[in-house]
Amino acid sequence: MNNFTMLAQNSDFDYIRQACLAAMSIKATNKNSDICLITNDPVPTKYKPLFDHIVEIPWGDHATNEQWKVSNRWKIYHAIPYNETVVIDTDMLILDDLSAWFKFLKNYDLFYTSNVYTYRGECVNKNSFYRKHFFKNNLPSLYSGFHWFKKSDHAHEFNNWLEIITNNWQQFYKQIDNQLKHLPGPSMDLTAAIASVIMDNESLITNSKVKYPSFIHMKPKVQNWKENFQYRWQDRVGVYIDDNLKMKIGNYQQNGIFHYTEKDFVSLEIMKKYEKVLGL
Amino acid sequence: MNKGVLLFANNNGTLNYVKQAYFLAKRIKKYLNLPTSIVTNINIHDKFPDYVDVFDNIIHDSVSYNETNKRYHDGDLHDVTAKFYNSNRVNAYNLSPYDETIVMDTDYIICNDILKNCFLQQKDFLIYKDAIHIGTHTGTPEFLRVSDTSVDFYWATIFFFRKTAETKIFFDLLQHIEKNYMHYRSMYQFRTTVFRNDFAFSIAIHIMNGYQTGDFAGLLPGKKFYAIDKDVLVDIIDDEIKILVQKTNRFGEYTAVKTKGTNLHIMNKFSLERIIDNE
Repeated sequence: MNNFTMLAQNSDFDYIRQACLAAMSIKATNKNSDICLITNDPVPTKYKPLFDHIVEIPWGDHATNEQWKVSNRWKIYHAIPYNETVVIDTDMLILDDLSAWFKFLKNYDLFYTSNVYTYRGECVNKNSFYRKHFFKNNLPSLYSGFHWFKKSDHAHEFNNWLEIITNNWQQFYKQIDNQLKHLPGPSMDLTAAIASVIMDNESLITNSKVKYPSFIHMKPKVQNWKENFQYRWQDRVGVYIDDNLKMKIGNYQQNGIFHYTEKDFVSLEIMKKYEKVLGL
Repeated sequence: MNKGVLLFANNNGTLNYVKQAYFLAKRIKKYLNLPTSIVTNINIHDKFPDYVDVFDNIIHDSVSYNETNKRYHDGDLHDVTAKFYNSNRVNAYNLSPYDETIVMDTDYIICNDILKNCFLQQKDFLIYKDAIHIGTHTGTPEFLRVSDTSVDFYWATIFFFRKTAETKIFFDLLQHIEKNYMHYRSMYQFRTTVFRNDFAFSIAIHIMNGYQTGDFAGLLPGKKFYAIDKDVLVDIIDDEIKILVQKTNRFGEYTAVKTKGTNLHIMNKFSLERIIDNE
């Protein structure tokens, strides 16, 4: 089985709905998959069969006042019913069978992608608008939006550091860069990067020479557009999903994992297309 | 397999593309030792008595030309708006008498034999994706992508194809794009309504790649160098080209540049014709 895990907590936005769409995209493309959703929120009955496991967030909610609910992410390691899993953000669509990626990932105790791509397939610059702190402070450019771990001493120790850094994020972040303590909350990417620096394990948990596993990152300022664009990416390029769930963004066919980032991407039309294919 | 070069030359009353083709065909013979066929809308027999020696075939194309107006510069200080017949290039597959063909613009000046390597390549379609201005016009956005949000730009100035089932599909697709150009203009988000071969080729390559980055098109050997129509060609002596390159942000001022043994795309056709006339 290829295991997928998501953590979803509703705030003023319905992240459970995102997780349901992500689960539908997994079931539509990865027949040999097992999905675990970690949440304290109710899952609509219609979508419950998509999840093989629905697990409560252990030890209470540590992210009560957070918009992005990052402070519970370190608990994923402890909550899952698996020995190994891929963890994805809820605002992602899985567009292809990822069996080959899982075969690759089994070589690692932990794996974070360090190269992500634009909708045109260009590798996002390490010194992009959103990663300036990583570049400036020579931190490993890890993306927690897609990562993998296998329960092991190495992964366990790494996760312990994630817990410590998350719970004391301002103290750790200011050691890297004093400006970072002013962030509105902890960032899982930054936390993972700091944990990697502490453990000096970058070469063991990522591989910048491989193109996959990775994902398409739709933050507008990394799309290599000459026009400085700061609004929804959907205002510049169209979204086209056919009845076979093949997706084009603008003029480009999308493959692998699509990280749409914009909350209003989850339309009724897209949900219906997936529901129709899955017979929900 | 027989091989050769195909040139398209449709005079517009202002510029004499046939004269350019005649000049280029002689250079192709000299540097590439290849036969050249010309596709034209005029009767050239009277104008060039030695046409039999210069051209392998003269092909009168019966397609209806996509006629548009285009502004032609002659350096910084002069420009003319004239007709531009540019659509029949998409018919190159059907028109070419060769199994392996290099198609060139008539304002491409051959100065070496590097393009002979086309025939050794495994790829059945070769084209330039990037080009280098011989002066300072670097990183021009319009030559990077068809539009800001759209697909990579390829230069239809010069390309190579081998006749295969796959390249037939490619040229059929080009014809389809030409016929439905306004639809593709909308889909690929570019503003100009004038049919551009560069755009049609770029879109067709993208589609042949399955709407993603791919390897349908190989790259032509060497680099493509170009001079824009605001640069002024001064002289061509054998494989040596002298040209005045317009200075950026200095209207009417130029820098003298000389190239040797380098193929060069001269967009200032008026200055090219002056050099040809003085030969």
